[in-house]
Amino acid sequence: MALLEVHGITKRFGGLVAVNSLDVSVDTGHISALIGPNGAGKTTAFNVIAGFYQPTEGKVIFDGMDITNMRPDQVCKLGLTRTFQVVRPFRGITVLDNVMIGAYNRTNNDKIAREKAYEVLKFMKMEKMANQTASGLPIALRKRLEIARALATEPKVILLDEAMAGLRPTETDEIIEVVRDISKQGIGILLVEHVMKVVMSLAENVLVIHHGVKIAEGTPDEIVRNELVIDAYLGEVVTDAAN
Amino acid sequence: MIDMAIKSSNGFIDKVMRYILNTWERTQLVICFVLVVLIAMSPLVIRSPYYIGIIILATLYAYIGITWNIVAGFTGQLLIAHIIFIAFGAYTTIVLQNKFGISPWIGLLASGVVAALLGVIVAFITLRYGLKMDYFGLFTIALMTALRSLFLKWDFVGGGIGMWVSLANTSFANMIFQHKEPYLYIALFLVVLGLFIQYRIYNSKMGRYFVAIREDEDAASALGVNTALYKTIAVVISATMAGIGGGFYVMYVTFIDPNQLFNLGLNVEMVMAAPIIGGLGSIAGPLLGALLNKPLAELIRGFLTVGTSGTSLIVYGTFLIVTILFLPRGIAGLLQNQYNKLRIRVYGEEKG
Repeated sequence: MALLEVHGITKRFGGLVAVNSLDVSVDTGHISALIGPNGAGKTTAFNVIAGFYQPTEGKVIFDGMDITNMRPDQVCKLGLTRTFQVVRPFRGITVLDNVMIGAYNRTNNDKIAREKAYEVLKFMKMEKMANQTASGLPIALRKRLEIARALATEPKVILLDEAMAGLRPTETDEIIEVVRDISKQGIGILLVEHVMKVVMSLAENVLVIHHGVKIAEGTPDEIVRNELVIDAYLGEVVTDAAN
Repeated sequence: MIDMAIKSSNGFIDKVMRYILNTWERTQLVICFVLVVLIAMSPLVIRSPYYIGIIILATLYAYIGITWNIVAGFTGQLLIAHIIFIAFGAYTTIVLQNKFGISPWIGLLASGVVAALLGVIVAFITLRYGLKMDYFGLFTIALMTALRSLFLKWDFVGGGIGMWVSLANTSFANMIFQHKEPYLYIALFLVVLGLFIQYRIYNSKMGRYFVAIREDEDAASALGVNTALYKTIAVVISATMAGIGGGFYVMYVTFIDPNQLFNLGLNVEMVMAAPIIGGLGSIAGPLLGALLNKPLAELIRGFLTVGTSGTSLIVYGTFLIVTILFLPRGIAGLLQNQYNKLRIRVYGEEKG
């Protein structure tokens, strides 16, 4: 049994089915990726898994426990956390305080939380800007901060929502290394990503969803040769041209 | 000039400056300490009971500003009609003294408990029905209006006539004093207590969780913050402290009635003005703001009450609007900019 198992989750918003009976599983130290065109339901799936939305149907099992109806903070205590597509640093406070807020997930002690935060910042190569205000950071560092905060909660599984969107190629390469290192620590990772290079170089298992439905699953090599996937991505371009 | 002084000294001033300027929080505490000492010594210079009275109210408003700062400044909850907690505190203390003969010193604690219960109710209802931001604020205003009507009809607490402290028995136990100075020191004690609690919260897990909720509630909950719990804690702590402040308020002004207390005008002057002018969410803000706001409000009232009534309110309101427009981070924000420059001069360009 995998660490995180998502069984047939469906999420409807009124008449719109954002996610339709999706199955996902993530295991310790493995990297899976969830890809799909814009509006495919990737972020909605994340929101359901991390406890931000209740699914209309289906179950989320984490570490043998049913977490379907739990709140995000309860899910985080169990060891499942997420980052956000649009980075959401706590702007008015320092980088260190941002990461400490994550570290308090495992301790009430200020000193231990501070040490943990420094440790994570060092891992993310951000220790030099510990005392800077988060609002002053450039986008690449904000993305790193987002991951640092999540790591400080000492998760077993991290859901990374487009952690590399909007970065320059060199910055992307750096984050790829970071994600690989995180995975080596035995943390399971589920990526949502648009940058194919990232998916190809990191993920062992790729799920493709389109209009909320899973249309393919397999290794990156299998996925790029899959007809349905090519249609889902490129078919829209053809229709656009026809218009 | 400061540079010269630092360089000419034998490193002593430099050491002191480095200690004070180590963190902005510490610098704010030093500012607060200086202000508290100045208030404590003010009766040595100021003899007029009228002016002492203004300082007492400014000090009390600083304390009440601190209580509001914890909930509105730290967690960012728009608890507009905070005065309901002060009113509950005030009524509790005076009812206990007038109807049951219980000393206000015990009454103050009871005021805290009663206001805390109201805080629990407010937090429970707003969380249960998901009222956030503006809706949360409007709920508190609606609640205040309902409570005013209730108290106006409630004969046990004097209805529309209100309640007053009988000034005959001046004694320490009754918290009734002939001179104004004892009131000043009680208010100042509350401020010191409030500053201490505020600083302890700010520098702890709780305070960082509060700020996380203010900055981004969803991001906070993804990091393990039980946002409902911590929002409730903030409201209850703030309400408890405000209730105690309300108990002292009635002992000082000696008279309360529902129209005067459950009132948005007083709410702005007593609760919101000081932290907003001083810098919402900062440590020194409420004290700085209250020391500027209250005397200024009195000054404006003193000059402009002759002739058309209400002129002073227009001027005072304009003053508040201008402050909010041009000093969005308040006096503390202004000082923090100076602090950043000074810190670089003392510490060099090194960061943290």
